[in-house]
Amino acid sequence: MNIQTNDIVKCNYALHDLYNVYDPEIGLNIVDLGLVYELHFDEVDHKLLCMMTLTTQFCPMGDAITRDTYNSLVKSYPGWEVTVSLTFDPAWDLSMLSDDGKAFLGR
Amino acid sequence: MSPLIGGLQKTTNYRVVLPFYIYASFGFLLGTCLLLFSTEAVGAHYFNPHTLAITHTMALAWGTMIIFGASHQLLPVLVEGKLDSDPLAYLTFAFTAVGIPFLVYGFYVFDMGLPLQLGAILINIGVICYLANVLASSFNKNSKNVHAWYVITATLWLFATTFFGLLLVLNFRTPILSKNSVEYLSVHAHLGIVGWFLLMVIGVGSRLIPMFLISKYTNDKVLWLVFALLNGALIGFLLVYFADLSTMLLYIPILMGLIAILLFGRHCYKAYKARIRKSIDPQVKTSLISVAQMLLPFLALIATLVLLPGGQSPEIAILYGFCIFFGWLTAIILGMTFKTMPFIIWNKVYHNQAHKGRTPTPKEIFNNSIYNVMLYSYLGGFIIFILGILLFNQILLKGGALALLIAAILYVYNVMITACHKSKQNEYPNE
Repeated sequence: MNIQTNDIVKCNYALHDLYNVYDPEIGLNIVDLGLVYELHFDEVDHKLLCMMTLTTQFCPMGDAITRDTYNSLVKSYPGWEVTVSLTFDPAWDLSMLSDDGKAFLGR
Repeated sequence: MSPLIGGLQKTTNYRVVLPFYIYASFGFLLGTCLLLFSTEAVGAHYFNPHTLAITHTMALAWGTMIIFGASHQLLPVLVEGKLDSDPLAYLTFAFTAVGIPFLVYGFYVFDMGLPLQLGAILINIGVICYLANVLASSFNKNSKNVHAWYVITATLWLFATTFFGLLLVLNFRTPILSKNSVEYLSVHAHLGIVGWFLLMVIGVGSRLIPMFLISKYTNDKVLWLVFALLNGALIGFLLVYFADLSTMLLYIPILMGLIAILLFGRHCYKAYKARIRKSIDPQVKTSLISVAQMLLPFLALIATLVLLPGGQSPEIAILYGFCIFFGWLTAIILGMTFKTMPFIIWNKVYHNQAHKGRTPTPKEIFNNSIYNVMLYSYLGGFIIFILGILLFNQILLKGGALALLIAAILYVYNVMITACHKSKQNEYPNE
């Protein structure tokens, strides 16, 4: 787990809720899966950008996972303008799993 | 609606997809019922009313309808675009769903007149709607991947199969072909088996199996090679048949098909070895079993070629068809139904309830215990029925067919509880 952020305190607060966002197929949360790449906080305009990925670009649950992520961040930061952005560069791989994630998947 | 940047596959409306799944489940039930009450047909020539009715029930009401449903759902994943038209999908369902019972009834009572002709015409209209939708969806994108080409080509072969089938039906009453329709049955059958089912299953499976295994393995070169081998094998078979070449040459397309299957099996094995999740759920295991089952029809086909010219063992031809329709095709459908359908239902029921508390996972939407019983009943029935064919034993045939019928009943039950799944208020403690 290596999330880029410009505010570690706010990031940790957001992660508290993001740990409850699950990939329904795998049954593991998106933080331990390593799907969250970046959380960027704009203090002046109260904007929050979440850069994330999916295990595959063709994930049938992608829409649900990103929507869930959005709802989670809105819950953590009410009144902030939240944007969830998907990227597949770099593509998700095994190295992005946290230790807990690796243990969950039997790695 | 969340403000999202970045490409995400658009899912197909569940209303388009679910009717196909439900219809297909009853098609499987009907196919196994007919099998149970027609086991005496095993010793007869494959051109007999009950065998034709069972074959077309399994090929159309079961295999084709569920592939139609799944492919409408998966087309965005396969062509990396979106389904072009929902109305065309509804028309595909309407025409084929009405046409299939007419066709099966026509075969069962051996009436080559109105029921058979009407059924064949309606099915062809449905297939044309499907073909138009696949082509429009695929050509919306400038770049087409190997999976998209599998789907496009398989659909073209499907149209060739059903149109040729219509010609055969009309040829029974009014001679429009140079030979009797029975002479062309193997052409019609292999257009469907190799051109439609095999290409489609490999095209879809090569994307879905690694995805469900959470495997990063991919090898487009091998998939293109498999694509070329299968199409080459089918064209080679048609050449041997229509140019009246020696039947010994049939071993060339058989060998090409066998190499293609082995390469696909190797592809799945490499995806399995490279999987990120160690544990595999029973549905993916079932699909992997079906990949191994693909080899059985080849053994039966070679036995057919060796034994049938002398007419020693007509039941081997039945074994060949059984291994295809009740073997690998049914196994992969049994597995993939409960990987794809729960996602469709999950997205339908819980799509707008994300992060409002605990929601069930897709695998909790159907009954996994019943799935396991269904799987054992299916595998037991499949093996017992094959023994029944080889030993020509009616008790084994009835026993195998009964086990397959039980599997079909359990399958229908699980499909219906999945389709009827609703969210429960107490699942949302945060609300």
